[in-house]
Amino acid sequence: MNTKTVGVIGAGTMGAGIALVCIRKGHQVVLLDANQAVLDKALTYLQSITGKDVEKGKISEQEKADMLDRAKLVSEMEQLAACDIVIEAVPERLDLKKGIFSELSRICRPDALLLTNTSSISITQIAGGLPHPERILGFHFFNPAPVMPLVEVIRGKKSSEDNVQAAYRFATELGKVPVLVTDTPGFIVNRIARPYYNEALRILGDHVAEVEQIDRIMKRAGGFKMGPFELQDMIGIDINFATTESVYTDFFHEGRFKPSRIQQRMVQAGSLGRKTGEGFYDYDK
Amino acid sequence: MTMTNKAVVLTGTSPLFAELHQLFAEKGYQVLSLAQAATNSAAVAFAVEVSNLDLEQKAEEIRQLDSLLAPDVPILTTSLAITATEVASWTKHPERVCGFGTLVPLVERELIELAPALQTEAKTLQAAEAFFQSLGKETEAVNDEVGLVFPRILSLIINEAAFTLMEKAATARDIDIAMKKGTNYPYGPLEWADRIGLDEIYAISRGLQRDLAEERYRTAPLLRKLVLAGRVGVRSGQGFYAYESKAEAKA
Repeated sequence: MNTKTVGVIGAGTMGAGIALVCIRKGHQVVLLDANQAVLDKALTYLQSITGKDVEKGKISEQEKADMLDRAKLVSEMEQLAACDIVIEAVPERLDLKKGIFSELSRICRPDALLLTNTSSISITQIAGGLPHPERILGFHFFNPAPVMPLVEVIRGKKSSEDNVQAAYRFATELGKVPVLVTDTPGFIVNRIARPYYNEALRILGDHVAEVEQIDRIMKRAGGFKMGPFELQDMIGIDINFATTESVYTDFFHEGRFKPSRIQQRMVQAGSLGRKTGEGFYDYDK
Repeated sequence: MTMTNKAVVLTGTSPLFAELHQLFAEKGYQVLSLAQAATNSAAVAFAVEVSNLDLEQKAEEIRQLDSLLAPDVPILTTSLAITATEVASWTKHPERVCGFGTLVPLVERELIELAPALQTEAKTLQAAEAFFQSLGKETEAVNDEVGLVFPRILSLIINEAAFTLMEKAATARDIDIAMKKGTNYPYGPLEWADRIGLDEIYAISRGLQRDLAEERYRTAPLLRKLVLAGRVGVRSGQGFYAYESKAEAKA
């Protein structure tokens, strides 16, 4: 396997997780964040996880040192100039992402692969108007990135077939399971999973069944690992609602994706799930 | 108490028929067809009716059961494509009708949902609960609406996967992999549909659309066409996927 120099933009949970996946597979990583505190936290995370790998006997001290040596933490975009591949993992704001890809288009080699880890923004929209849009693709990891095996490789309107194949191969080299999807709202997972939450909310709203009943039925009758309400509490009800709203808007208000008022009221009330101590269930704070 | 002398009438066209037949027999029930029950109606303790796609046949057989059986014999009917309340409305003794809903394979269902109609008497629901418990299943009673909970939610997931496939946004294989690896689903929605029977999923989707009348429940044209073409999944050798033989598909 040929090792590459991979730029990762955004050192939050997702970016740090992606950086870990890359250094574990022998790639050089340039992890970029404008905020030094976020970079410090990411470094602590990488040290802590690789340290645990040593304790578990998965890797040696030397391998850990080599892995950490492969991660370079930087705060200037210009330092991504030598990257073969750049993965952007900043918050889901179009203006932010467009600005980053515009700069990358200027800084990076024309043949560098530019990937966005967006879960909800159109790849075509991010690439629109930039030089070399053929090398801009979606590369969507699932949280937590080091654990979840899936990567959605998303083909924008102007992504080239060669680059789609290159991104697919890169995902495989990272030990991930890639799937290919065209640039459609929610891609595969966030689209097809919508009814799991949305229809459960509708069933609740129509008082066909209550929260605990629906969760029990989906686990005991359906074989799902977690019920739709337990899952919303874990994901964050605000995050789940935002995803539904985004898919609904991007499908031009197709009725199949219509959001739930119950869920909206939970968000308005600040009952967001485990992270606030209460959601569909109560948690000890 | 002994189950061995208890007879159950089982009728209908759902893929559930064969599995329920086997389960009833395993648990010591004598299983009668509608024709057999006609000559031996006094022995019948329960009637179970499971048509979902052909609602005319469902109505016809429910009326036959209602006129054949003593008024205190419970009639359990699948409320996957139609409400139990509507089925009960076809009978002279609606208080003995109770809805239920599940999907094959039954071995994977630890729990079966019951949906009492508005007309269902408490003792009918209790009898239905005891009956399914005698089959080794837990029960959960929900309010009566088309598709109950699990079949309704799953049919919408499969319908959305069918839209995604129809639009060629991704291949069937990639859709299934994504849902298993990205969200921990026990099966990919399309392979799951092939095992359940596309006719069953279509019947639920059409029923929701008919009763709730919203764009939300619009059936994916691909799903409807596959059912019309007889490509109902593993059972027919072709559905969202093609199967070389039934044996291979089950493996």
